[in-house]
Amino acid sequence: MARTLRFVHLFPELLNLYADQGNLSVLMSRAKLRGIDAEIVPIKLGMKIDFDQADFVLLGGGSDREQAIVGKELLAYRQDFLNAIDGGLPLLAVCGGYQLLGEYYELPTGEKVPGLHLLEMTTRAGGQRLIGNIAIEWIKSDQGPKKTLVGFENHGGRTIHDYPPLGTVVKGYGNNGVDRKEGVQYKGIVGTYIHGPLLPKNPHLADYLIKNALRYRGFTDELDELDDQLEWRAHQRVLDRMQVTQSH
Amino acid sequence: MRIRSYFGLWLGRATKFALRISGRSGTSLPGLVAGKLAPHLLQDLMTQLTDCVMVTGTNGKTTTTAILYAFLSEDTKWLTNRGGANLHQGLLATMLGASTLSGKLLVKKAVLEVDEATLPKITAFFHPTAILVTNVLRDQLDRYGEVDQTLRLLSEGTSYPGTALVTNGDDPLAMSLGIHRSELTYYYGFTHSPEVTTTRADVRDGAFCLLCGQELVYDYFIYGQVGSYHCPNGHFQRPVPDFGGQYDGITGQLLVEEFKSRPNPVFAIQSPVRGIFNQYNLLAAISVARVLGISPSKIQKGIVNYEAPTGRFQVFQGTPSRILALVKNPTGANSVLRAIEEDENDKVVCFIINDDDADGRDVSWLWDINIEEFFPRSVCKSWICAGTRSLDMALRLAYAGVDRNSIKVVEKLSQLVDATSVNVHTVYLLSTYTALYPLNEILREGVKNG
Ligand SMILES: [Zn+2]
Repeated sequence: MARTLRFVHLFPELLNLYADQGNLSVLMSRAKLRGIDAEIVPIKLGMKIDFDQADFVLLGGGSDREQAIVGKELLAYRQDFLNAIDGGLPLLAVCGGYQLLGEYYELPTGEKVPGLHLLEMTTRAGGQRLIGNIAIEWIKSDQGPKKTLVGFENHGGRTIHDYPPLGTVVKGYGNNGVDRKEGVQYKGIVGTYIHGPLLPKNPHLADYLIKNALRYRGFTDELDELDDQLEWRAHQRVLDRMQVTQSH
Repeated sequence: MRIRSYFGLWLGRATKFALRISGRSGTSLPGLVAGKLAPHLLQDLMTQLTDCVMVTGTNGKTTTTAILYAFLSEDTKWLTNRGGANLHQGLLATMLGASTLSGKLLVKKAVLEVDEATLPKITAFFHPTAILVTNVLRDQLDRYGEVDQTLRLLSEGTSYPGTALVTNGDDPLAMSLGIHRSELTYYYGFTHSPEVTTTRADVRDGAFCLLCGQELVYDYFIYGQVGSYHCPNGHFQRPVPDFGGQYDGITGQLLVEEFKSRPNPVFAIQSPVRGIFNQYNLLAAISVARVLGISPSKIQKGIVNYEAPTGRFQVFQGTPSRILALVKNPTGANSVLRAIEEDENDKVVCFIINDDDADGRDVSWLWDINIEEFFPRSVCKSWICAGTRSLDMALRLAYAGVDRNSIKVVEKLSQLVDATSVNVHTVYLLSTYTALYPLNEILREGVKNG
């Protein structure tokens, strides 16, 4: 049976601050090269969201103003969202989208902007923005030829939770600059502050997400190898420039 | 002048002299040392200006300033910060170059390119005659945070009602700066666009009503968020421009119509620049010149003096000829690509991408460049990537559908001349800021030797 996948992009007109469509373009391209019939389904503000129709969801980052609009819009779907996540819906949430998964975002004034509360997680505005290249060791480090994930982070918020992180920080700040954790990995959710965008230089993570989506939709998750020389050179270049040495 | 300012002035002048005798030409260093010693020196010098235009905005500052300088300096001496040194120290270095040792400014008129974040710091102590805002687009996120912040800085910088504001009426963000002003606010815009595109998926950060958050409705887009727009709830809309432009791509003529003057003058200018974004820069410069009372005939004469600044579609003649263009954000890069599209000859396109502070350390903007649109129309033989982020750019091209075998990555900038000595009509080099000046040298040398 031909494998088909629908990648839902939530509010592309609002949440595309760090070129999130770069992540989608990588997923699409890598799926198509494996003969998977993949399509991107953009959901714009005001459109009805049907989580049953999604095999994967991308929740990107926006400015504070845009983030607030999205938070309000999505709150109405909270229960549907929770159910889908319990069922294992693969979700990639980046930057502002990642923060939105939590209970609230606390402003410097003490005011708490409510999140979707899909995870027991909170974010607090910090002093300095945490900006720069980042390398982490992925907790699913058996998934590819490299154990690391690389990219760029730029966030003012400090996020705290007790779930397994996406990885442990090798160089950079991560969730809060203190506990060496970066992102979150829970059921089908991958949440992270790494943009840059995330997937082009981390093809092992891209394939991991595609496999999750295939399994979630009941297909076999076998994927042919691709020629990723350029991807790994770009990945290695970041590690070299950050002077990260690793064995694999 | 304050005593401290004298010391700063002398130190700055001495630094400039020392740089000159050692054969270096630092544009900002004298300003930096003088400003450190004498924080009020810039104020003491600037307040002597009788006429001053400041050009700010995300894209097109340098080109627009250079065009405006060509009009203004036709028969009068004007100061300008050529080379884009647009922060406090760069402005001070420009002023120092025209002052006596006793702190007297010899030239009393200046047209200055000013960084968006620097503008409100300057207008806190000095009110220029006019401020021109070219556009407000996404730029170097890790420097400013977000586009909203830039808008706040510009709004603060243009709040003085005695300063004329000339702003881009086709850009909803730049236009919004005029909403709360009454006197001395002028808009320019294109009344007829050479290529009206509604399908392009360019970056549109400004495509939302700032008052109610609704997505703006567009009759057409010209580039990025620039076009004919209105809020569906009636909060604001593209204004009828004071200075309307019509560009004829075949003759290269820009027709300017002054809609709000009676009788409304119409005149044509032969455009010295390429690409629609540059026609905006030209129209912006003409609008300011007209606000200052410069006659159309003097503008027509002055345009001949225009020289493209480094990296603004700067041509290096040779076989093949090479064209150097600065790219620093997706909207600017998309505009450059659209200008390249107009060239239907076989070509080579090079991207030189660095990630130093001045380039923006975050290169995620590469993924906002619309390669997918450009690639099928590009008539491009091969692609070359260089700079510290060459591999990020190569990946960007690959995922846009460019054949991986036609993408070459070179390690050093100096290899670019050899790598592009191939049988094509033109080689386009799109470079971020820190590679621009080294490339300028390399290309000049390469063409001489080649
Ligand atoms: Zn509105």
